[in-house]
Amino acid sequence: MEKIISIENLNYTYPESKKPAIKDLSLDIYKNEWLSIVGKNGSGKSTLTKLIDGLIEASSGTITIAGQVINEENIWDARKRIGIIFQNPDHQFVGATVEDDVAFGLENQGMPREDMIKEVDRALALVKMSDFKTRDPQSLSGGQKQRVAIAGVLATKPQIIIMDESTSMLDPDGRKTVLDLVQQLRKQQDLTIISITHDIEETELSQRIVVLNDGQIVKDGKPVDIYDLGSNLRKYGLEEPFSSKLMSIIRVTEKLPEGYLSEEELKQQLWKLHSNM
Amino acid sequence: MEITFEHVTHSYEANSPTASLGLDDVSLTIKDKLFTAIVGQTGSGKSTLVRHINALLKPTSGKVIVGKRVITSETNNKNLKPLRKQVGMVFQFPESQLFEDTVEKDIMFGPMNFGATEEEARKAAHTMIKLVGLDESLLSKSPFDLSGGQMRRVAIAGVLASDPETVILDEPTAGLDPVGRLEIMNLFKDLQEKGKTIILITHNMDDVADYADEMAVIHSGKLIAQGPPKEVFNNQELLQDDVLTLPHSASFAKELQQKGFHFDKLPITINELGTEIKQQLNGD
Repeated sequence: MEKIISIENLNYTYPESKKPAIKDLSLDIYKNEWLSIVGKNGSGKSTLTKLIDGLIEASSGTITIAGQVINEENIWDARKRIGIIFQNPDHQFVGATVEDDVAFGLENQGMPREDMIKEVDRALALVKMSDFKTRDPQSLSGGQKQRVAIAGVLATKPQIIIMDESTSMLDPDGRKTVLDLVQQLRKQQDLTIISITHDIEETELSQRIVVLNDGQIVKDGKPVDIYDLGSNLRKYGLEEPFSSKLMSIIRVTEKLPEGYLSEEELKQQLWKLHSNM
Repeated sequence: MEITFEHVTHSYEANSPTASLGLDDVSLTIKDKLFTAIVGQTGSGKSTLVRHINALLKPTSGKVIVGKRVITSETNNKNLKPLRKQVGMVFQFPESQLFEDTVEKDIMFGPMNFGATEEEARKAAHTMIKLVGLDESLLSKSPFDLSGGQMRRVAIAGVLASDPETVILDEPTAGLDPVGRLEIMNLFKDLQEKGKTIILITHNMDDVADYADEMAVIHSGKLIAQGPPKEVFNNQELLQDDVLTLPHSASFAKELQQKGFHFDKLPITINELGTEIKQQLNGD
């Protein structure tokens, strides 16, 4: 597997703070991977993304993006490879219409108008929002707004997309649409996805989960291995997945397999038990 | 303190061509000392509704009765202080309203504004900071040196410091991590058990199921359902129209029904769901 981001011995302390926000952290992120970074408020998740995007500069250590060690001279090149989708879609709209909004990043890059129109259409088609292109972004639902925000990021053709709590303000349907879309785009466009979240259920589609606590990586594994921590996840400010909570209630009297089951697997098990009665 | 809405209509920009109805003939009673959740989609009128309770907004027609106080379109903006002392409001992202140079002063602002002496207000600040789960040592810090979660708690402490009888919360846990959310929700439940009336605006149906005694569903400015959560979440009509989403446990139960399981009423909390599954598997 090819590394797209390589972080080595990274340290960062906020000015006027005594405690480091990131402590000697090393992490490799691979091309086309979907990596979730989870942890409670203050664990260092957002600091880490700011460091990756060059919004703040590390006290020590290195970040390599696509083979280049990031420094002051090449940070703008590196940043072009990265798109960020934020938590609150209302905070990221600047255009009066959906298409204006998607065009914003391209205008900033000085793209000629002809090309820009094509690019905006392409991006809106990718997120299935073409029918909405002349609408006022404020008239859209939360999930639709986040799809437009994703189109804005896709238009600039990044290799890496960072989702910073991007679905935490959406209802369950909106969340599912956005996550499924990101999954599909990852495969189609060969993107690397880094999602930052404290919602364990937002991590279901990722291939790897890294748990941060006090600026350090405390767990790094496949989703099933992380979910298997069950109620121990609370130590890191995270909630136990719904299915494992339910299983521990049912297990008191019924036989269920050991280890983590997804909700779908648990349903199958329960149906089986029910039909064997 | 019981709160009653009688045929309340609120029109934004009432006399202009762009007039729009924020509330449309809402009649509703919010019972004293209970935990009531107000739910509805973004823009449905939830926030407009609760802003009438402390007269931040006044009805265009109809009236709102808060304890002994009646609020109508004629209500004068003077003399609203006693009402606002009784009804504390925690807005969305309340940390954006912190402004003093120390946490202590920020929490003291409310009580002093409502006539408490400096000494009383300081005492309240020391009590409240502990109540919201923060250390007293933070009182001397600048609120802007705190983490987002800590700032949120300070802002909540500031509202509670005036000892309001009714506390209105607009999405108080948005953006908090799950453990922080649980602590804050338990704090509100605790306050209710100690005799306060809690009104919570939320999108989180699991919180409604876990904490609320009553819920009201607002849609396009109208009240379309009210009652205990277990009843409202079992109202088929609302679910068909997509107006309401189900708590996690209820939607899981609904899927279990596809093969073999049967629920007279969908369970809405994980404990109810687990108990029912066990009973059905035991065959009794």
